Amino acid sequence: MTQATGFIDDFGMDTITLAGELSAKLAAMREAGFSQVMLKANDIVGHPGGVAAAVQVVRASGLRVTGFQVLRDFEGLTGHLHDYKVDIAKGMLEMAHALVAPLLLVCSSTSQHASSDLEAIARDLRKLAMLAVPLGIRIAYEGLSWGRTINEFTTAWQVVQRADAPNLGLGFDSYHALATKTALDGIELVDPKKIFLVQLADFMWQETRTVEERISTARTFRVFPGEGVHSATVAELVQRLDAMGYRGDYSFEVFNDDYQQLPLPLVAARARRSAEWLGEQVLRRAVPLPGRLRLRR
Amino acid sequence: MPLTVDREAIAELPNPLGLAGIEFVEYATSRPQALGQVLETIGFRPVARHRSREVLLYRQGAMNIVINAHDGARPRGAQPSETPVITAVGLRVRDAATAYRRALDRGAWAVPVQVEVMELHIPAIHGVGASRLYFIDRADAFSIWDVDFVPIPTVDKHPPALVGLHWFGLVQYIGNDRMEDWCEFYRELFGFERLADTQRFGILPKGRILRSPCGSFYWQLIEPEPGQLDVEGEESLQRIGLGTPDVPAAVAALRARGVAFVEAGELHTGARGALTVAQLGGLMFELVKYP
Repeated sequence: MTQATGFIDDFGMDTITLAGELSAKLAAMREAGFSQVMLKANDIVGHPGGVAAAVQVVRASGLRVTGFQVLRDFEGLTGHLHDYKVDIAKGMLEMAHALVAPLLLVCSSTSQHASSDLEAIARDLRKLAMLAVPLGIRIAYEGLSWGRTINEFTTAWQVVQRADAPNLGLGFDSYHALATKTALDGIELVDPKKIFLVQLADFMWQETRTVEERISTARTFRVFPGEGVHSATVAELVQRLDAMGYRGDYSFEVFNDDYQQLPLPLVAARARRSAEWLGEQVLRRAVPLPGRLRLRR
Repeated sequence: MPLTVDREAIAELPNPLGLAGIEFVEYATSRPQALGQVLETIGFRPVARHRSREVLLYRQGAMNIVINAHDGARPRGAQPSETPVITAVGLRVRDAATAYRRALDRGAWAVPVQVEVMELHIPAIHGVGASRLYFIDRADAFSIWDVDFVPIPTVDKHPPALVGLHWFGLVQYIGNDRMEDWCEFYRELFGFERLADTQRFGILPKGRILRSPCGSFYWQLIEPEPGQLDVEGEESLQRIGLGTPDVPAAVAALRARGVAFVEAGELHTGARGALTVAQLGGLMFELVKYP
């Protein structure tokens, strides 16, 4: 950091935002001044040299791994479907471990086969958390805005509390909260120590009226914070989280079809602008917070 | 529908697995003779050999220690090192199959079985680091040792314990901010309960102690020193704890057999416990006044 640049270490990019292969993505993030990266499994598995080579690329990048995503449709299943998903989860946990990712992101289930029983959902999340303990991985559970049973951060938090495992916490995604128009006041009820990850994105529509519209916007037309029409709300959210005492990572979960066909440095520069806005103007971070020094595990 | 259970909401038993102590602790090492010599100084005697692998059984009193120098079955990167490493703990349970199934249901990782012909299939789950936790339900008349091991001729199969030594438990090193995770792991899978921080054993002032649901042994979790910059996060079973009703007598007996104890800094041999000086690159044993 120099005096000419802002402090943006609280913020990182997701590999999902950029086109191309892993090393190019990581290089672009680094060039733009980011120090952390949220990894998507496809980027690791699809690496031309395979997973082991991808792990080396991540290590060599010098970027700290924010977390690894994403385990879908895990909870609420029974019988062979449950056993199948446990196997998938173990595969993802092992990859996360190899990447020294401290966190696995889990999205609430959209499956029609999954139970709506909160007790069953909590039990499965608790089991997942126990699977993650020996590997030293934390589980962040996020309510997808089109999740079948859990589709708001408020209910996701209820299930996390019910599951009650020390390495299970909430993954908060601003897009989903904005899409469902969930009152942000609900965030005050969440223990800030149990928010394990905050993902930030903005979008261009005032409203997403239908589930289909939510899904299509979420997957193709999110933008960086400050670029859309909900910037004031995103800023308020970040300020509230900070005031509550949240000191974890913020990553930009920006799925955008346009960004997928633009040069990586150009997109990373937009992310950088967003991070500077949040860091300098919203959070007014001039210097690293005390106790924020982190070492690679 | 299990109506009766629903109606009365019967709480789970405090010892869900029927845990009943430690059947064995296994060390892996590429120098089994050297480890064997150290074990003999603290009172263990070799009593049997494995039928098909380079594995030895040492025993004193009710304690079994397995020395595993067999490298064929281990994954790459986990070959035995010269320094002995605790690679497994065998837990006595009421019914091994039930205990294993219950652990898997609650999020344990199964260890793939690799048995040879006529050997026992002992179910195991992954523990901390590269260690394994076995479930054993045959500890009495016809034990696992009778099946997979051949007695060493002429030696006493049941050498008595020196000065009443018995298992106190295991000491596990954990990473930074991992105390709650591991407490929950042992509670959820086995029913361990944490002791109040005021209830201490031994001479080491650190860590948190978990009591087994059977009440017969303890699992001690120790975090890195505060401010320690080495946060590579290596987690492992660091050492075994040996209980004795009379620590000074045990220390005197072991000293007479050539065992040295740590007398430095804050650590001194006392009535509450003692720590042996590290050998073979890090192998140590802790004596604890217990009961």
